[in-house]
Amino acid sequence: MTITSAPVTGTSTKTWSGRSIPRKEDGRLVQGQGAFVDDGGMHGQGHAWFVRSPYAHARIVSIDCEPALAMEGVYTVLTGEEAKAMCQAPFFAIAPPPGSLMQEWPLAVGKVRYQGDAVAVVLADSRETARDAAERVIVEYEPLTPVIDPVAAADPAAPLLYEDAGTNVAWHGLFDYGDVDWALENADYVVKLDRLHFHRFTSSPLECNGAVVHFDRGTGVVNVLSNYQMPMFAAMVVGPTIGVPMNKFNFVSKDIGGAFGIKIGFYPQIAALALLSKKAGRPAKWTEYRTEHMLTAGHGNERTFLDVEVPVMADGTILGFKVRAFDDAGAYLHYEPLGAVIWSQVVPGCYKLKHVRVDYTEVVSNKCPVVPNRGYSRMQHLWLVERIVDVVAHELNLDPVDVRKRNYVQPEDYPYETPNGCIYDSGDLPRSLDIALELAHVDEWRQRQRELGTGSGRRIGIGIGSTLDSGTNNFGQSRIINPELPFSGNGEAAFVKLDLFGEINVNLGTTPQGQGHETTAAQVVADILGVTPEDVNVTTGFNQANNAYVGFSGTYASQFAVSGLGAAMGAARKLRHQIVKLAAFALQADEEEIELEGGMARVRGSEERSIPFIGLSNMVYTNNAGLPASLLEECDLNARYVYVPPFEVPDSVAKTGNLTLTYASQVHVCVIEVDEETGEVKVLEYAAVDDCGNRINPLVVQGQVHGATGLGIAASLYESLDYDESGQLQQPSFYEYHVGTAMDIPHVECGDIESPSPFTPNGAKGMGEGGGAPLHAVCAAIQDALGSGGPVVSDSHNHWARVYDLLHRAPAAPRGVEVVRRTTGSDSDVASL
Amino acid sequence: MLLEQVEYVRPRSLVEALEILAREEGAAPLAGGQSLTNVLKNRVASVDLLVDISALDELAGITRKSDGGLSIGACVTYDELDHSVDVRASHWLLGEVASHIEDQQIRNKGTIGGNCCLSDPTNNLPPLLVALDAVMELRSLSGQRSVPSAEFFKGYFATALEPGELLVSIGVPPLPARAGAGYASLTVGADAKAMVRAAARVTLDADEGTITDSRLVLARVAHVPVRDTDIEARLNGADASEEAVRAACAGVADGMQPIADVHGSSEYRRQVAKVMAVRALTQAIAAARSSGNGSSTGGK
Amino acid sequence: MSERGISHAVTVEVNGEKVSRIVAARQLLVHFIRDTLGLTGTHIGCDTGNCGACSVIVNGKLVKSCMILAPQVDGATIETVEGLADGGSLSPLQEAFHRYHALQCGYCTPGMLMSATYLLRQNPHPTDQEIRRGIRGNICRCTGYVNIVKAIRAASQEQLSGSRPEPTAVSEEV
Repeated sequence: MTITSAPVTGTSTKTWSGRSIPRKEDGRLVQGQGAFVDDGGMHGQGHAWFVRSPYAHARIVSIDCEPALAMEGVYTVLTGEEAKAMCQAPFFAIAPPPGSLMQEWPLAVGKVRYQGDAVAVVLADSRETARDAAERVIVEYEPLTPVIDPVAAADPAAPLLYEDAGTNVAWHGLFDYGDVDWALENADYVVKLDRLHFHRFTSSPLECNGAVVHFDRGTGVVNVLSNYQMPMFAAMVVGPTIGVPMNKFNFVSKDIGGAFGIKIGFYPQIAALALLSKKAGRPAKWTEYRTEHMLTAGHGNERTFLDVEVPVMADGTILGFKVRAFDDAGAYLHYEPLGAVIWSQVVPGCYKLKHVRVDYTEVVSNKCPVVPNRGYSRMQHLWLVERIVDVVAHELNLDPVDVRKRNYVQPEDYPYETPNGCIYDSGDLPRSLDIALELAHVDEWRQRQRELGTGSGRRIGIGIGSTLDSGTNNFGQSRIINPELPFSGNGEAAFVKLDLFGEINVNLGTTPQGQGHETTAAQVVADILGVTPEDVNVTTGFNQANNAYVGFSGTYASQFAVSGLGAAMGAARKLRHQIVKLAAFALQADEEEIELEGGMARVRGSEERSIPFIGLSNMVYTNNAGLPASLLEECDLNARYVYVPPFEVPDSVAKTGNLTLTYASQVHVCVIEVDEETGEVKVLEYAAVDDCGNRINPLVVQGQVHGATGLGIAASLYESLDYDESGQLQQPSFYEYHVGTAMDIPHVECGDIESPSPFTPNGAKGMGEGGGAPLHAVCAAIQDALGSGGPVVSDSHNHWARVYDLLHRAPAAPRGVEVVRRTTGSDSDVASL
Repeated sequence: MLLEQVEYVRPRSLVEALEILAREEGAAPLAGGQSLTNVLKNRVASVDLLVDISALDELAGITRKSDGGLSIGACVTYDELDHSVDVRASHWLLGEVASHIEDQQIRNKGTIGGNCCLSDPTNNLPPLLVALDAVMELRSLSGQRSVPSAEFFKGYFATALEPGELLVSIGVPPLPARAGAGYASLTVGADAKAMVRAAARVTLDADEGTITDSRLVLARVAHVPVRDTDIEARLNGADASEEAVRAACAGVADGMQPIADVHGSSEYRRQVAKVMAVRALTQAIAAARSSGNGSSTGGK
Repeated sequence: MSERGISHAVTVEVNGEKVSRIVAARQLLVHFIRDTLGLTGTHIGCDTGNCGACSVIVNGKLVKSCMILAPQVDGATIETVEGLADGGSLSPLQEAFHRYHALQCGYCTPGMLMSATYLLRQNPHPTDQEIRRGIRGNICRCTGYVNIVKAIRAASQEQLSGSRPEPTAVSEEV
């Protein structure tokens, strides 16, 4: 069902949508009255602590729980084998074979596959007792050789993580669009890049994972109070494994202290806690602390790109590229290998590239499992494309601005179909770039760069990062990974009702972690019902018992403005229809004469003929005698609506289809100063221009841009997750992992454009993840600082030692790039590209 | 995050603290707790009894000595150093370096004594104290002794402290006439942990054109702050110019094996050590010239 | 006062109210505040004293409560985020955070407010650089710090001018 975006009729021409009103959530949060998971609990709960492997790869020889059980205050211990015996099946796998043979249970069984892999879990009467007891559990391991490098992991000779699968390659596929061989043969140049590498890092939300889980032995109901951000996904995976049907799950979350996709990863812990609770006969509360989180909660995808070849025309028109990509899923597949297709939402990046071949391999390795970290999979690919564009400009001595503008999808091209059938809905990238360049005072910085010259020991670099934030997925793309999967489309649910005294209440299927859903949902509902956002109560958080959910419910993947608000709008419209009908009956008028304003329904033009919402509630809930049955059947003042975006099932053989509904964009410009003697980089100026269509609350949108920018700058210069050869994480806490502070992150000057989406109910596009533009921009700025002839910036993480190496590499040393000029053949007729 | 069982006691006097430390095996002094608490949270070391010395009068306060130097109580916090009029007057750089330690919360609690006694190679103050010829005053039940700061740091979390001894104060001698101090470090993030630190003190001749005496101390090229006496020998008698300093520093850290880690290789750290040494020395020369006692800009 | 033993009697004044409890020596102050006193506004975000989510003011000094043991605060005065509002009125900083969208998930916010409160007490008219230095010990993953700096600056300017915009629940464009 499509929803028109026609304005709601009413006397007021002012709308709440589009206004930067401060948030309703703030009151409790600034007073420390937020309801975060560790703040609450359940009666009789025990405290849980996981026993985790110090080895990256080892056989579990034995587990002796007796010393722990002997401690006063310990309720019980659950081991992997015990947990498995309580399960009906391993966790559901997204991958087809061999990936589906890489089985995972709530706790490790038989072997451990990454440093931190959980082998048992203790339940005790206090946090400290659980922690102390966990140390007393004696686990004997037989260490095995770990596999760390993703390319090496794919080698048939590599040690196997899963003997039953017979390989470490979880999935492999070839994405081939256009004719890249033809393009390579006929282009004026081929730019070859040996290796590009997108590094592993995490958005590390400030609140770690947490859950209080009660498996009620009497009713069989599993209550989960947690900060998990995609509850129905967890229910659908955990339920069949532990034998709990959907109608006996009750997922509840309230305030969540940031998630960024990381809080999609801990469903195995939820399953383990449910079984622990079942065994112990009491609720199990788990509070994760930072070290446990860094080791085990989930990292962002690390992707290695080999043998990149880019056919380019002399004028800078890029025809496409081919590449071999290796994505490292870590030790367990979890949400992977979905990432192996998610990137293809943005095959050509921001550009009109027509010929793209990606040979994509997803491997497992003895590292922490990955999760859909902010920007999930598209970010890695968009970074690749931006590096390509940036390097092409440098190698061919072309202006990076001109090369981008030449290749950008142009405003008149929208809606634009990409090589694999995705539809870019709207945008204006050239104007976004112009605004960003101006906001960052690039002309002045270029002047200063020239004046600085050489020999001062400092260099200035200016870089552009263009990116897309594709939002509202078509989950049918999962069938490109595995045609057997019963998933497609997307959706979100909402419930809008008038309550007993005429109050407006909204329940959402979302799990906000700071995106302001209580406010923006109130804004759109207020517009439809003719009230103010103050009059609209949006229930905090997610509660399955509200029945406002579908399988895709949650907050992730940059879609709330479309799917969540689409659902809220649909439900509000349904409710409005009922209100009008009831009012028309009560006021003995025609429905067309009824208008809503200020919590009243009135006959247009008449002050006296009106009824407040409480009067309508009274009719339905408490005072219905004598009312026509047909009226009451149609009007129960409880409107549930599911927003469904218009999707078809993609073609899993050709690997084509429309995979995402909306494409927000961001163009960033970064100015840096580099210390030649040390490689230290300082950001001097930073600008970001965002286009996410119609903005429901510009203040909230801008906050998301700020946040994504802060995380991206920190990831490019300070934050990296590295494993040594024995699989030990070098940054297991915030002591080693330097999170960007207020003294590291510069001021971000923001600009915005609104290119409404023609495909959504409100012209808005989902946004929030950002697309990693800072990583693209900082790499480009370093490339610029290196000057012509410098080596290629080939890694997304540029700590000082790496920048130093780039600055001081011997002229004869490999630069990581080669430009081959086509010498034979006639001028190709590529003009029609 | 959660500590093992531990006992806690707050002695009322230094003597009582020393008695407890002498008597109880497994007792450790607790000053600011900004390092020790982490050690306990991560359970990398075991302490049975925490002896809280943070509020002892005998360990507090900054006093001006008759020779113009300073006596700094072991439990003086980084924030107190930052805001001390006395410190800023005679040893400006000490206050400045303290003001760049991590963040306000840590500066409000962390102490100069703790910074020295935990001997974490990343710590900010030890190399500067060595460059300033600071002297550690130690006390035990059997008496007291002084240990030059250059001999105080023995290794990772190891110092010259004997069992039952406490660091009670640090004496910082006045800067000689026409002397200045400098400090430079390369950190991962602003005011964060350093990869390499260099502290320097330079004394100039009457014309302020020649270096007559120098100290160059490097941190994080070895397990403890190291005075590079070879470089100092080359500096003494050299021009007080940047080129001369660069030439003298060409061999800085050669022959040392700084650890290699995710932040950089051993070779990179040696390179950076050279650069930091030059910067610290250049700052020290400028400080010596401007007022002769280290009150100029610089220090990170 | 020199006591031995694993359990200690602790008397503190928290947000103006005197409370007494028995604590284990090993209990961190942040757990004392959250679990023993039930003041869950102070948060935990790390386990190495780096994130500042646990920041409170003890005896007038801004500290990280995860780096202090509960018995250490016997006799101390503690201020937490729950004490910032005066009856029904939010403090100028709380108001400014709200008006300038200086919080998203709200998890760092209590610690951030305590640091900002302390900063403005020490330095009523900080520059942006001084503001950033003042909150360096508080990590935020949501906001990129941009609006936090803006809010603290605005609150300091209000304190300077002595006037405050009327706090409203719903207001026009910021």
